[in-house]
Amino acid sequence: MIIAIDGINAHHFQSLLRQSYQLRARVFQDRLGWDVNVENGMETDVFDALNPTTLVSLNASGQVVGSMRILQTTGPNMLADVFYSILQGEPAPRSPLIWEATRLCVDTDRLNATGSPRARNSISYVTSEIMVAACEYAMDAGVSDAVAVIDPLMNRVLKRSGNAPYDYLGKATPMGKVTAMAGLLDCSIERTERLRERSDMRGDVFLDEKTAIVRFGDNSKKNLAASDAIRTYLSEQLQSADTLDELHATLKLISEIEK
Amino acid sequence: MLEASIDIGAFVEIFDLDSVDKTEEGFTSYLNDLCENLELDYATYCAVNTVSDQVIGFTTYDDAWKEHYTSQRFQNIDPTLHLPMRSIAPIDWQRLREHRDFDRVFEHARDFKIKDQGLSVPIHGPYGEVGLISVTRDCSLGTWEKLRKNVITELQTAAVSLHDTVMQSDTLGYALRRPQLSSRECEVLQWTAAGKSQIDIGVILTISSRTVEVHLRSARSKLSALSTPQAVGRAIGMGFIQPK
Repeated sequence: MIIAIDGINAHHFQSLLRQSYQLRARVFQDRLGWDVNVENGMETDVFDALNPTTLVSLNASGQVVGSMRILQTTGPNMLADVFYSILQGEPAPRSPLIWEATRLCVDTDRLNATGSPRARNSISYVTSEIMVAACEYAMDAGVSDAVAVIDPLMNRVLKRSGNAPYDYLGKATPMGKVTAMAGLLDCSIERTERLRERSDMRGDVFLDEKTAIVRFGDNSKKNLAASDAIRTYLSEQLQSADTLDELHATLKLISEIEK
Repeated sequence: MLEASIDIGAFVEIFDLDSVDKTEEGFTSYLNDLCENLELDYATYCAVNTVSDQVIGFTTYDDAWKEHYTSQRFQNIDPTLHLPMRSIAPIDWQRLREHRDFDRVFEHARDFKIKDQGLSVPIHGPYGEVGLISVTRDCSLGTWEKLRKNVITELQTAAVSLHDTVMQSDTLGYALRRPQLSSRECEVLQWTAAGKSQIDIGVILTISSRTVEVHLRSARSKLSALSTPQAVGRAIGMGFIQPK
């Protein structure tokens, strides 16, 4: 199940966005060793402030298990402004009909690496679900192609899950400890049908905006219930604090949460 | 049916901005052609000056609605204008209907026979600037959905070429990027560039040094400058004052 978070609805989905940034920190910094900016366990960069669309994939318990960030290539984007050395001195593509996909990641801790592509908790299914969503989102906007900035590992994941790029721009280029490459993906019905068939994905992969806000928004019952539980716990802790240290620890926790 | 009505000639016409006058009239006639070729009722282009927040654009709407719209200052609240600028994808106005300002604008629009069925296509430029083309069509929902699908690619392409042309043209692009400094603000910056202190400038212009500070502060914020030297640098770069 995919939720599309954009500059219009992001104020409802701060909690999901935080989960996406946390996943990005775990994948790109901890696992892949990329030189990225991580604060409070969340990886973000300047492009997150430019109202990109973030597609998040949720598992059955509503946790973010995959995400992808989409930017236009007509404005500031990673290939033009950060990863340009992949292009070997050539200018980056710029077209209203080409979008850029970056920060594509899946939660390998929660997902099954060897599972069947039809199993919803497999890396293959979640990768394909994000790709189907991205393709359909792009096609709805009249966009025909995407350029994805990826590393060889993700490239392998894409190939294994039937999502292989049809071509690459420039060449795979070492950037610090990482090798970066730019794959081209067609946003076409052929691709989505192939992926849907392979993973037995039927119906709408997107959760519509209204339902998403009610079920997974920051003010959803689930989130409010969670914060109620935390509040109850904290007030119990406050009342039962025996020493000054315990009291301080609890107050510190409260101030952290209130932030 | 729609595809048959767009012949190759029309396509060339849509994307050929070279022959268009780089003036407001020229751009408006481009939008008129766009409407005719894509079977749309009205089209509007606009962009927000990132420094002054001023909305600049042109439209094929009748003068009566244009005047009413600006007299009500709808450009400051219109959700079909401000919300899609925060998106990378085109936004169908159906998604914006529940926004509190939507009815405020479109209740008025109804009196001018303008319906609330439309689409806004955001354009992101290389300097982070954002523009927008919005189009409307009064027809059944089914026809609208089909039309949208058919014209979305052409609209995206037209939107970016129009935006790029506007940004490169002298008339509007200039106004979009250029903050408006008052003559006093320019004078104060000019004397600052000449090395005069705030008190000196007050004496020279026979105003209090506090007033000098007010002009400086305003000039700094119009130029998005954090410090006075930065404001002076930008003012020189934009040709407001002379380097002395």
